[in-house]
Parts: sequence; structure tokens; C-alpha cells
Amino acid sequence: MASHPGSLAQQEARFGWKTVAPSLLLIALLIVYPVAYNLYLSFFEVKLSGQNEFVGFNNYFDLLSDRAFYDSLTVTVIYVIGSTLGTTLLGLGVASLMNHEFPLRGLVRGLVLLPYIAPLISEVFAWQFIFDPVNGIYNHMTVEVLGISDERVNLIGTPGNALLVVIIFDIWKNFPFAYLMILSRLQSINNDLYEAATLDGATRWQRFWHITIPELRFVVGAIVMLRFIWNINKFDEVFLLAPNVKTLPIYTYFTAFTGTIEQGLAAAIAVVQFLLLIGLIFLYIRRVLKW
Amino acid sequence: MRKLIIILLATSLLWIWQGSVIMAKTNISFWTTETQSERMKTIQLILDTFEALNDDIQVKLIPVDENDLPTQMAAASAAGNIPEVIEMGSELAVTFGSEGIMDFGAHEAVINKIGRDDFFKGALQLTTSPSGQAYALPYHGWVQGIWYRADWFKEAGLAPPTTWYNILKAAKHFNNPAKNKYGILIGTKPEGFAEQVFTQFAISNGAREFDADGNLVFNSDAMRETLEYYKELQKYTPPGPQTWRARDYYLQGKMAMFFYSTYIMDDLSLADVAKGSLTGENFDGLGGVGFDSNLVKNTKMVSSFKNTQDSSYGVIVTLGITKAKSASKTSAAKRLVRFMYEEDAYVTFLHMAPGGMNPVLRSMAQSDKFMNDPKGIFKHYGKDKISEIIGGLDHLQKFEIVEGKMFPASGEIFAQKIIPQMIYKTIFEGVSTQAAMDEAEAEMRKIINK
Repeated sequence: MASHPGSLAQQEARFGWKTVAPSLLLIALLIVYPVAYNLYLSFFEVKLSGQNEFVGFNNYFDLLSDRAFYDSLTVTVIYVIGSTLGTTLLGLGVASLMNHEFPLRGLVRGLVLLPYIAPLISEVFAWQFIFDPVNGIYNHMTVEVLGISDERVNLIGTPGNALLVVIIFDIWKNFPFAYLMILSRLQSINNDLYEAATLDGATRWQRFWHITIPELRFVVGAIVMLRFIWNINKFDEVFLLAPNVKTLPIYTYFTAFTGTIEQGLAAAIAVVQFLLLIGLIFLYIRRVLKW
Repeated sequence: MRKLIIILLATSLLWIWQGSVIMAKTNISFWTTETQSERMKTIQLILDTFEALNDDIQVKLIPVDENDLPTQMAAASAAGNIPEVIEMGSELAVTFGSEGIMDFGAHEAVINKIGRDDFFKGALQLTTSPSGQAYALPYHGWVQGIWYRADWFKEAGLAPPTTWYNILKAAKHFNNPAKNKYGILIGTKPEGFAEQVFTQFAISNGAREFDADGNLVFNSDAMRETLEYYKELQKYTPPGPQTWRARDYYLQGKMAMFFYSTYIMDDLSLADVAKGSLTGENFDGLGGVGFDSNLVKNTKMVSSFKNTQDSSYGVIVTLGITKAKSASKTSAAKRLVRFMYEEDAYVTFLHMAPGGMNPVLRSMAQSDKFMNDPKGIFKHYGKDKISEIIGGLDHLQKFEIVEGKMFPASGEIFAQKIIPQMIYKTIFEGVSTQAAMDEAEAEMRKIINK
């Protein structure tokens, strides 16, 4: 064997390919194929009978001249920016608080995680019940007990408020993720840095700004990116809580499965969303994170 | 070790052989829109009986929410595994039939076996294509009406809600948001319920989707007037987009009128059924209420009201057989559907929702077995009222039927929720009445020109 180093290397390479082959196959099957098939569909008028008709870029032209698409894009941008910023900032704030010593800290740290780990559907029902215009506790409190408002409102149902409610719901549900990641990073910052800064006369704020924030930079960067990806693609939360908030995934769903069912057009929306996501992430990594 | 391998091999062979014996049975699946677990249990019982009597057939019961049915069918037909038998509203049967999914021949055969004359003509009409073929078989049906607090009306000296004028006047009178009381419930969420309510208003004003020659006449003055009226009425409903679920507010004594099908009859008369709609027991502080045993006495229903003409609305739920992959599946599906109309199976099915599920066969409507429901709900209302409701199934008015002619495109317009979207947009998204109607009409044209 030792006398044929080339063949050994070849054998190793072959063995290497064999070991990764199952994963490659799975990735191809579960990720590459659906993406490619979706791209393919976006150039067709999809008929339920299976006889699709090639229409070139027509779906894309239709999309770009559709006012509802731009509305949906605007809603998505507001939703993603609002929820990403909200979860990150709230997570940062709560993590900073939880980093201090106080009695029952372990218990409180655990409780903070609850919204993140509780089943989504039960949370949605609870929220819908809380905000029910006639029987919900929210209207009962604001109108009858506190008298802040003299009119009962359907906060989730009314389109003007629904976007705000969905953003707040997302922040409430997902901030523990940011909190968890930031807290674990906070705990690993070397205390010597703070002590040295204190000796140099740095104020509390200066220590936070010049030590904590730079140390957290990559964690926060990663959180923002992950939340960004997840929230652009977010379907379940929005659809269950308030399907009248038409973010891109919801708009795609309605296009594909309701009204004049147009699955080719829906595929085109998905492609645009995909490109948008890739482009923004590329920019983000290059410009903001400078990786 | 060797022994072990032999044993394993032998058992697995036996298992495969057993499997193939089971495989010899004809497997069919049955989609139902009765998704509540109690109803699922009853239907399963009917299917078990059927399987016991026909040991060469195996039926798989699959519940599908009625709002998701078009979506699920689209997905199933893309995947090539549509169910053999479907229980669905007549609009969907018409839509699927027009798309070439349903087996007209199989339907005809079963109808003839049961006896065509035994079916209510009005029910049959809703499931028959313009060229006289059966999109599906009518199975059961309900009638829609305005249920109202007769005691409140009497106290206020108001006339029953039988005309547009009376309805609006009463809605205004009883609506008092400051006291958390509302005038009326009409559908405003973009769901089927909104279309069901709106349709009855449109027909009562002579507004139609199609004229007798099949021209789309949706965008008419009468329709605009109806939509304007509907928007006015919406001001007296509970805040925000609402759907049938808000009927709970009526059961809680917080609403004067609501649109609903005869499905509400058991909630009104039985404390047990109403429990799910009441808040009293769990949340004292919320001003919830317990079951009002006088509610059934104090509630009256009008199934027909008018502006320029009388209108009655209802839904026929059908059993449809799809074009199956093999003759044995088609034959199994036909036998199952035929079985569903046999007295015991039929009455068991209808008694799942006394008042809501009414027979479409003349012979069954007169049967004592049917009139004697296990919970005694029919007794609360009396035989005359029940007969009146069932009789209503014979002359339902819908957008699909114009002067006795069937327009299948109407079914698809319903399936695609174009009218509910229009209502939602003009009430909650600030789109003007005319713009919303223009948009709806354009969507309808897309369907017609397909």
C-alpha cells in the first residue's frame, strides 16, 4: 500500500465521496429539487389537470405590474424590520438584566423562555381570546375597568392594527431566542475587562458601549441574520393569528390556493422572495458584518 | 443465530402474505367535511357497518375542513391521489364536476337505483349540469334564516325582520356598543359565511351573477344597492371582521339578530351543546352568562325576507364519486353511496345534527324514525316547524340557478371566495363600493373565460 501513495489518496477521496453521498443525495432531494422545480413552475401557467403551458417570463411581468404584490412587499419589509429589531433589542435588554445577580435568578431565567417553547397554536388561541372584541379581557380592561377607551375594538381583525399585533406577537414569542444567545455570550466576557475599565474611570454606560457591545457584535449579527431569514419566510404565526396581514408567504399562499388559483404566479412570487432574501443577506454579510 | 434468521425470514414472509390478503380488498377513501370528533365517530360507525356487510371493501375516513376542501383537492389531484367519495357542498360538487374530476355515470346509476322521483326536485336541480348530468348526489341540506330575539322585538314594538327596512331598523335599535350589545351578525370575514348571507340579500333585491342567457350581470345597480345596504348593516355588528363563530354572542344574550343555518337548533335548545359558546362558568369577571333555558322560546326565525322580492337561501350537501383509477374502486364507491341512503344509515347520519341535516328524500322526510331524534330536539320545535324547514329545501334560491337553468361558473365563483373578498375589501380596506365590485367582476370574468 505504502508504495502507491497516489492510489491511497484516490481511495481516500473515493471513500470520502461515499461517506458524504447519502447526505448529498438527501440535500439534493429535499432542497435542490424543490427549489429547482419551483423555478421551473414559475415559467408555466400551472393547470390542475397537469397540462402546464409554458408562458416564459409572463408570470414575472404580471407580478411586477400587480399593485397587491407591492403592498405585500411593503408589509413584509415593515414586518421583518419591526420584528427583527424588536426581538433583538428586547433580547439584549432582558439578557443584560438577567446577567445581574438576584434571588431566584435561575427560575426567572427559565420562565423567560416560556413563550418560545410553548406550542404556537395554543398561544395564538390565547391571544385571539384575549383580544376578542366582545368577550376578551383586553377590551374589558380598557373599556370597562380602566376606561382608557370608550369603544371596543377588534385589534387583531382590523387590518390597520393587525400588522402591529403580529409584530408584537412575534417579538413576544421569539425574543427568548435572542436572549438565550446573548446571555450565554455575556457570561463568557472576561470580567477583567470591566475591572480594568472601572479602574480607568469608565462609567456604567461607557463600559456597556465599549466592552459589552463589541464583545456581542458577532452574536447579535448572527441573531439579526437568522431572525431576518426566518421572518421573511414566516408563515405559521402570521397565518394563524391574522391571515389578513399579507406578507409575501401569505400572499403566495393565497395566490396558489385560493381565488383564481394561480400556482405559476405563486411560484414566481416565491422565486422573487428567494432572490430578495439571498441578495439582502449577501449585502448584510459584506457591508454590516464585514465577514 | 441461524435459527433466528430463519424465524425472522419466516415471520416476515408470513407478514407479507397476510398483507397481500388484506391488499385484495378494495380500498377507497371517504372525505367528509364533518370534522367534529363526535360526528367523525358516528360516520365511522356507519362505515364500520358498511364494511361488515361488504367484507371486500375497506373505507378510510378523512376529515377535511370545508374551507380547505378546494385547496386539499388541488393538492390531492396534483399528487394523483384524490378520494373516491366526497361529502361536500353542492357548489364544490359543481366546481369539481366542471373540472372533470367527478364520475357523472356513477352518480346517475345510484340516483336511478334509489329512485329519481324520491329526491326533492329543488335539491336535484342544484347538482345537475346544464346538459342534465349529475355532478353529485344531494344528501342533506339546511336552510338559512335570521334568528332573532322575539321577546326583545315585542318589547320594543318592532316588526319581525322580514324586509330590508325592518332588519335595518331593528339592527339600529338594538345596537348599543357602550353596553356591549349588538344589533345583528352578518358575515364580513373573507369566508364562505359572508357569501351565504350576502347572497340572500342580493337575491331579495333581484341582483344576480348571471342572467338567463348566461351573461355575467354581477355589476348591476341592484347589486351595488345590496352592497351599500350590507355595508350599512355592518355598522351594527360586533367590531371588526366577523364570521359564524360570533353567533356565540347571541347565545350569551349580547345580540338581537344573527344569520345562521338550522344547525343552530340544538345549541338553542340543549344546555350541553350550548356550553362551548358560553363564558359564564370559566370567567365570572368577564360578565359571562350561563345557559338561558328560555332562549329557545324567545327565539324566532324567518327563513325568507324581501326587498323587491322574496328570497330563501340554503345549502345542499352532496355525496360525490370521483373518476376512480379502477372499475373495482368505482363499484365500491357506488355501493358505499347507495348504502348511505338506506334508512338506518341515513337516519343515523342526519341525527348527528337534528335541524341542520335534513333529508333530501321525500320518503325519509316523512319517516317516523327520522322525526324521533335521540335528543328530542324536534319536539322543542314541533313537527310543523320541522316540516316547513325541510320543505324549504325544495325551493332554495341560489346564484347558480336562474329560471331553472344551471350556471356552473357560479359554483367556482363561490369556491374562490370572490364575493367575500369584495365585502372584506370594501368594508375594512377602504376600497370604494364600485371599485370592489369592478375588481370582483374582473375576477369572475377570469373564471368564465378560462
